[in-house]
Amino acid sequence: MTLRPSTVTELAALVAESAARHRTFRLVGCGTWLDGGAPVATGAEPLHLDAFSGVLEYEPGDLTITVGATTTIAELDAVTVAHNQWCPLSPWGGDDGSVGATIATATPGPFAHALGLPRDLILGLECVDGTGKVLRPGGKVVKNVAGFDLVRLMTGSWGTLAAITSVSLRLRARPAVDETWHVPLDDGAAARAQDTLRRSITPPIACEVTTAGLLDTATQAGLLVRIAGNAAVVAAARAEVAAFGDARRVDPSSWTEWRARKARRVPRIPSSPEVRALNDGVRRAFDPAHILNPGIMG
Amino acid sequence: MFLADSLRAIVGDTHVLERAAELLVYESDGLPGYHRTPSLAVFPASADEALAVVRELARQGVPFVPRGAGTGLSGGALADGAVLLGLQRLKRIIDIDPVRRVARVEPGVVNVSLTRAATRHGLHYAPDPSSQTACTLGGNLAENAGGPHCLKYGVTLNHVVAAKVALPGGSVVELDADDGGYDLIGAFVGSEGCFGVALELTVKLTPNPERIVTLLADFSSIDAAAQTVSAIIAAGILPAALEMMDQATVGAVEASIYAAGYPTDAAAVLLVEVDGAAVGLDEDVQGVDRICRAHGAREVRIATEPAARARLWQGRKKAFGAMGRIAPHLVVQDAVVPRTKLPSLLARIAAIGAANGVRVCNVFHAGDGNLHPNIPYNANDGNESARVHVAMRQIMQACIDAGGTITGEHGVGLDKLPYMDALFTPDTLDGMCRLRDVFDPDRRANPGKVVPIRYCRERRPKGLMGDGRRETGEVTTATPGAAALGAAEPDA
Repeated sequence: MTLRPSTVTELAALVAESAARHRTFRLVGCGTWLDGGAPVATGAEPLHLDAFSGVLEYEPGDLTITVGATTTIAELDAVTVAHNQWCPLSPWGGDDGSVGATIATATPGPFAHALGLPRDLILGLECVDGTGKVLRPGGKVVKNVAGFDLVRLMTGSWGTLAAITSVSLRLRARPAVDETWHVPLDDGAAARAQDTLRRSITPPIACEVTTAGLLDTATQAGLLVRIAGNAAVVAAARAEVAAFGDARRVDPSSWTEWRARKARRVPRIPSSPEVRALNDGVRRAFDPAHILNPGIMG
Repeated sequence: MFLADSLRAIVGDTHVLERAAELLVYESDGLPGYHRTPSLAVFPASADEALAVVRELARQGVPFVPRGAGTGLSGGALADGAVLLGLQRLKRIIDIDPVRRVARVEPGVVNVSLTRAATRHGLHYAPDPSSQTACTLGGNLAENAGGPHCLKYGVTLNHVVAAKVALPGGSVVELDADDGGYDLIGAFVGSEGCFGVALELTVKLTPNPERIVTLLADFSSIDAAAQTVSAIIAAGILPAALEMMDQATVGAVEASIYAAGYPTDAAAVLLVEVDGAAVGLDEDVQGVDRICRAHGAREVRIATEPAARARLWQGRKKAFGAMGRIAPHLVVQDAVVPRTKLPSLLARIAAIGAANGVRVCNVFHAGDGNLHPNIPYNANDGNESARVHVAMRQIMQACIDAGGTITGEHGVGLDKLPYMDALFTPDTLDGMCRLRDVFDPDRRANPGKVVPIRYCRERRPKGLMGDGRRETGEVTTATPGAAALGAAEPDA
């Protein structure tokens, strides 16, 4: 029987009951990220979260949005672009993955360097922890220090502490001018150019050293750069990019293509025994029966 | 050995205070109205000494409260019979790496000192609480402090990359954003001294903008000013800061030594700062100017020179101090509401103030929707105090009802404790307690702060429970709700 709870209450009841019986689960959002580089222990039953999908609250004037966790990145982009806004989450991988998985794995993307990591873009969430408790830490406003930070704790916890059911995110207004450029450069030169551009007074919002064949078979290795802002800023940034070589303007969809090529993030455990002990303590506090995504995070 | 003697053996005779007259200074933080007396105060000179102190406190099972400069606005650094662990002597800037743009500092370094030290590299430390000339980076870390420029640059959380932390039990952990595992540094930032003591911080440094322009726009209605805030953000302009002051605040500032030349007849003024590359900045300045005028600004002053900009900022940064002219005590609120709700909330706050016969001064980070409705009052007047507390509760409830939060940057401490259960469910509060118990299972670090104790279930390992309950047994601490609320009321 497929496990597919349709409400948070149902999910919480299922987890609470399962914790007592040590019935283990592998959390499944959109199903694009199943092994996460570290296969979940065998025997864990897939627990489908696709009922928790769609926009729950969006007031464009506030530049914030609350979505169900299995809302796809593509949906998030489509809803916000209609109001000339966007969420720079754009994680490595595809647009068919979910917002919840992006948060759970803390997967950044090409815009993270300039516009923030998932932990910087998330404002609040709702989740069901390994004991079956529904937690709603954080909020929907852009600044919030009320209480201990379970939002950051859950972000990047790989579904080992809780199943995320909804997420509130910070949005940005789309820049007036937004251009993507490709400059063919060999590896060393591309890395140097990347460093220079990132330190520029008019830094790009993304700047990636890319491999050959990205846009078409003839495309050489080089630098993929996105410059954005008002017209004067972009003009200055464009001149800087052009100084590195034979720059050509390319379609913004190049970013989607580049994101799909990047290796997926994998969970890691802390390097020192002291931090590992703390880490294990956190796991015990939120999933004492070890039933959520067992095998990941120790 | 008695605690004081063993602490003296670590830090030296002159750095342990025990006499009532000496401890008086440490009875309050930056928020007038709360007084709690520590049992003693200890001031280590180095990370090694601080660690030795934490270990001695652990050995003797003594509760303690870490404290930086004591400028906090939540009653968070008050030690009620606990040991006060003062960290302001740990003020070494260990290292500035201008290439990686990070600095390693001790927790007692004053916020603005780091910016001054980084200036020669063209860098600064971005989070700038109004108390930045006094507050410490360790305190900023504990509170996840904000400031006017956080609108563009982010809060403390976004600028701390690692911390060496003494856990209350005496072990040392290096929390690093680049390490594997859970985001423990993210959890530690803003933990208000309840998770341990940061002995060393690694923070990001931000390049200084090439050019900065500050605008002051004045409005004949609060509503028009509030609408302008949303319009600027919606236009895609991200100002470095977007601050609002109402007539009551402007009046207080202009009557004080911090007078900045604000128009006293304006219903509200907006202070807008745009910064970045010189190229393109004029477009943003003109954009802000145009939007302000389109929304009814009577005048827009534009300051480009450092002295003129500093003058415009002075009134804002010293506004809380200027309110001291109005009355001896001040309630400082820190609620955040969705930006589009600002106009209706400001009207509601004015109505609540009028209904209770109290004077509300609004001075706040409008771009973030981070309100600071402050109420100057005389705490010795019982009737006025009672009205202030009713108004404060109503304002907080209005902000929560609007989808907001009870604190944007000051922290919960003691002051916001009574509102936590209006904002979070019991299960969420219990989850927060579970996180605290991982860092501090004995609950000795800053006890009684942030989460009302009645929401914290006891989880004690087998053997510690004297009444034969099972190892997994959980009991709710028997603290009556009314008593817990009473504990958080300022003395009046």
